[in-house]
Amino acid sequence: MKRLLSYAAIAAALSLPQVAAAQTPAPAAPGNAAKGSQKVAMCQGCHGIDGWRTAFPEVYRVPKLSGQNPQYIVLALKEYKNGNRGHPTMKAIAASLSDADMADIAAYFSQTPLTTAAK
Amino acid sequence: MTMAMRTLAIAAAVALASSTALAADVEAGKKKVQEVCAACHGVDGAQPTTPEYPKLAGQYPDYLSKALRDYKSGLRKNPIMAGMAQGLTEKDIENVSLYFYVQPSNLASKY
Repeated sequence: MKRLLSYAAIAAALSLPQVAAAQTPAPAAPGNAAKGSQKVAMCQGCHGIDGWRTAFPEVYRVPKLSGQNPQYIVLALKEYKNGNRGHPTMKAIAASLSDADMADIAAYFSQTPLTTAAK
Repeated sequence: MTMAMRTLAIAAAVALASSTALAADVEAGKKKVQEVCAACHGVDGAQPTTPEYPKLAGQYPDYLSKALRDYKSGLRKNPIMAGMAQGLTEKDIENVSLYFYVQPSNLASKY
C-alpha cells in the first residue's frame, strides 16, 4: 500500500509540469513599438480615423485599437489569419503578417497617452 | 401654431424619447453585463482579468454588437464567447454594447 501510494505521488508529481505546460501557451516574443510604427501603413486608413466605418460586408465602425491589450491584438490578427475571424479585408492583411509583425504592430497600437472621459 | 413651432415641438419630443430610451438601454445593459460579461472583461470593461481579453470600455457599440452577433452565429469562432453570446437576445446585445461604449476608457483611434 505504501509503495502504491508513493508510485501515485511520483506519477502525480511527474504529470504536474505537463499539465501546466499544456495550459500555458508559449509566451510570445514582446513586440517592438518603434518597429511596429513602420508596419502600420495598411492599418491607418481605417483604424487611424476616428469613427471610420467599414463599407463591406456590413457597415459598422471599425474598432479603436489604441490602448487595447497587445496580447489581444496579436490573438485577433492570428484569428483572422487562421480563419476564426472572417472579415475579408482583415483576413487578407493578417495573412501577410509574420508573428513578429503582429507583435510589433500590437505593441505600437497598445501604447496610448489618451484617456477619454465618460460619455 | 406655426410650421416652425410644430417642427421644433416634434424635434424636442423625439429628442426626449430617444434620450429616455438611451438611459434605459444602458441600465439594462449594465445588469446584463454584471451577469454575463463582468467576470472576464471587468464590470466596466476597462480591466479584463487577463491581457488576452480585450478592453471593451469605450469601444464603438456597433462594432461590439457585430462581434457578439458573429460569435452567436459562429462566423467568429471562440468557444468561450460562443457560449456567452448564445444567451443574449438582440436587445441584450444592443444594451450591453451601449453600456460598454459609455464607460470611461483609454481606447482611441490612432494615427
